[in-house]
Amino acid sequence: MMAGSALRRLMAEYKQLTVNPPEGIIAGPVNEENFFEWEALITGPEGTCFEGGIFPAKLVFPPDYPLSPPKMQFICEMFHPNIYADGRVCISILHAPGDDPMGYESSAERWSPVQSVEKILLSVVSMLAEPNDESGANVDAAKMWREDREQFNKIAERLVRKTLGLPPPE
Amino acid sequence: MPVTLLDRLPLPNLKVYSAGSVLLLSVAMYYAVNVTSDPNWKANTTLQKQETASGIVEGEAAKMVQPAVTAVIAEPPMTDTKNFSDQFLEVMTFMMQEPLCMWTLINMAYCSLALFGFFIQKVVFGRLRVSEAQRVKDKFWNYLFYKFIFVFGVLNVQYMDEVLLWCSWFTLVGFLHLLGQLCKDRFDYLASSPTSARWANTRVLCLLMGILTAASALFMVAIVWGLPAGKDTFAFMAAECLLLGVSALHVLARFTLRAHDADAAGPAAYYTHLVFDAVSLVTETIHVAHMVVYSNVVVSMASLVLLMQLRHLLYAMLARLRRHRLYTALSSHMSRNYPMASAEEVLKHEDNCAICWEPMKEARKLPCSHLFHNSCLCRWVQQDASCPTCRRSLTAGGEARPAEPPLTGPNHLFHFDGSRYVSWLPSFSVEVTRRAGVDLGPGLAAATATAAAARPAPDAAAESTALVEQVQRLFPQYPRALLVTDLAVTRSAHLTIDNILEGRLPPPPPLRPAVAPAPAAPDAGADSPPLSDELDEDDSAENAFSATAAEREAALQRRKAELRAAARARFLRRRPAPAPAPAERSPRS
Ligand SMILES: [Zn+2]
Ligand SMILES: [Zn+2]
Repeated sequence: MMAGSALRRLMAEYKQLTVNPPEGIIAGPVNEENFFEWEALITGPEGTCFEGGIFPAKLVFPPDYPLSPPKMQFICEMFHPNIYADGRVCISILHAPGDDPMGYESSAERWSPVQSVEKILLSVVSMLAEPNDESGANVDAAKMWREDREQFNKIAERLVRKTLGLPPPE
Repeated sequence: MPVTLLDRLPLPNLKVYSAGSVLLLSVAMYYAVNVTSDPNWKANTTLQKQETASGIVEGEAAKMVQPAVTAVIAEPPMTDTKNFSDQFLEVMTFMMQEPLCMWTLINMAYCSLALFGFFIQKVVFGRLRVSEAQRVKDKFWNYLFYKFIFVFGVLNVQYMDEVLLWCSWFTLVGFLHLLGQLCKDRFDYLASSPTSARWANTRVLCLLMGILTAASALFMVAIVWGLPAGKDTFAFMAAECLLLGVSALHVLARFTLRAHDADAAGPAAYYTHLVFDAVSLVTETIHVAHMVVYSNVVVSMASLVLLMQLRHLLYAMLARLRRHRLYTALSSHMSRNYPMASAEEVLKHEDNCAICWEPMKEARKLPCSHLFHNSCLCRWVQQDASCPTCRRSLTAGGEARPAEPPLTGPNHLFHFDGSRYVSWLPSFSVEVTRRAGVDLGPGLAAATATAAAARPAPDAAAESTALVEQVQRLFPQYPRALLVTDLAVTRSAHLTIDNILEGRLPPPPPLRPAVAPAPAAPDAGADSPPLSDELDEDDSAENAFSATAAEREAALQRRKAELRAAARARFLRRRPAPAPAPAERSPRS
């Protein structure tokens, strides 16, 4: 019963994302046998060090979606202050109202059923553009972002090329 | 408790099995016809029969078969001019007596059942989805395991005839159970599908009716044959029929609820499910408890398994009870504090419910004047007492406090101390955590780890044509020009193959005739602007949301490949750094 309403909502979101996709974003279940596991492609935002990259990520939805948020994990190599080394994304919209690992988020930014896959992905795009250096998902990346932006940009460029299947610059 | 031990058993496929069965049967038939063509065969076999008959102490089941067999045997000897049906009867009689022939017959019966099941699956369900097939497989082994326990552990059956009768009974019941499971899964799938597949629904409905009819027929069998064999036997058989019927009726009820567009968690739907859940849980618990009492063995493998099952059932029952208490507490709280919106308000509010994205016919209104379905709001408030849209706290509004107690209050109620009822029952406490943690699959870590290191540039001596050949051999369907372009960029067969496999290169024309010119476009030079324009146009044309899963999956795959290809082209246009690289590497420099 629960999964039924989750499925209907996911199907509605999938339809909306297909018919009216936001610029540079594609998301949907790779195999509809399992509608609770999606793959998304996010284009790195213009005018940032991630510009032009196509970053694939996996979204896993709970059976009681949209009451609980999905989990998101990049499946390409990432280097970003708000992304863990294993690709998991640390962003307030993905946190359920109950849990608060960082202890600083106001509940207004947290997950609520009115949020959606589209809103999550757009938030992730803006996170790529402007890292939130308060959350230390990747401390090295956060430090480099603050202190050595040039090196950070170089790494980002390598990652962008990698997602496009291009060799690293010489 | 799913039993997955036997999952890896190598089963022959249906074609081989049925061919083998038919072959076996014809051999047995041939043998039987040969034997019975001798007019004196009966004298020989009845003699044998009488010798062995004294050795057989017949059980209840044997009693049922025996009269029929002896009646046939008692027939007067035939004349030579036998007609066909008489001869057939004789052959059958012989085959029933001859153990080897009888096993072939039984095997044939199973084979026909398997074929019948296959036929139903083809007609009603079509191709099974992976999850459905898996569910059926699990259920099958589970069922087999418990019935084995039942026949040998509980009934302690010792005579072949009895075993055979119980086997055929459980085969039929189990067969219907599996079909019922398939119907349920398929209904869930159809209910969540965006298109209304009327015909598919009708077929599933017909099958459900068939299952119900068969369940009542089995119940008649239980009355006619089970009742004379004793009250216990009858109760066992009847419980099986009841469980079968209830599960089929439950799926039918879901169909009805959906046809009437019932609110998924509204009172009508809720109490319907409650009744069905209660009936099936109580029946099953009584059934298992009956087995425990009947088997009357204090410590044995069978009773242990049964007790585990009983425990599991009690657990499920308590969980259901708790859910029910939560539901009633919550719905009374909601109706006290948040009034239903007036019809006018609902009409004025044009948006769908923000939680489920479905239209609202009636809605509940929060103090902040946001509207939601009653059921959606109910489920959300259990988790977080705030308005989903504006995040205003619902508990801050004075007397809204009672929202908390039903959430955490009844927890302690569900500690179950089994030893208070029966000394050997275990004690446990039930904690129903609603948020099932979904972990990301283990495959992810591996995927991110692959190819992390930058690949070394290919040997300078490697001819680019050799690389093209190498890739072309693997992907003959890709146009050569496309491979040449990509190899010029990657300078590595591995990377290009990766690009093809991961969809970064546009798929070859046969998949998609409309884009036939697209793969050729890069040939003209990476900086040709028409490529992205063309893709954009295609995008808008293909944004239609297909009706079938396969089409949607293919379209998604295609859109991803296009996004990647466009991004590559754009990137190379802006930063053409790697393009001249092959020239630098040429022997001239
Ligand atoms: Zn709703
Ligand atoms: Zn509100």
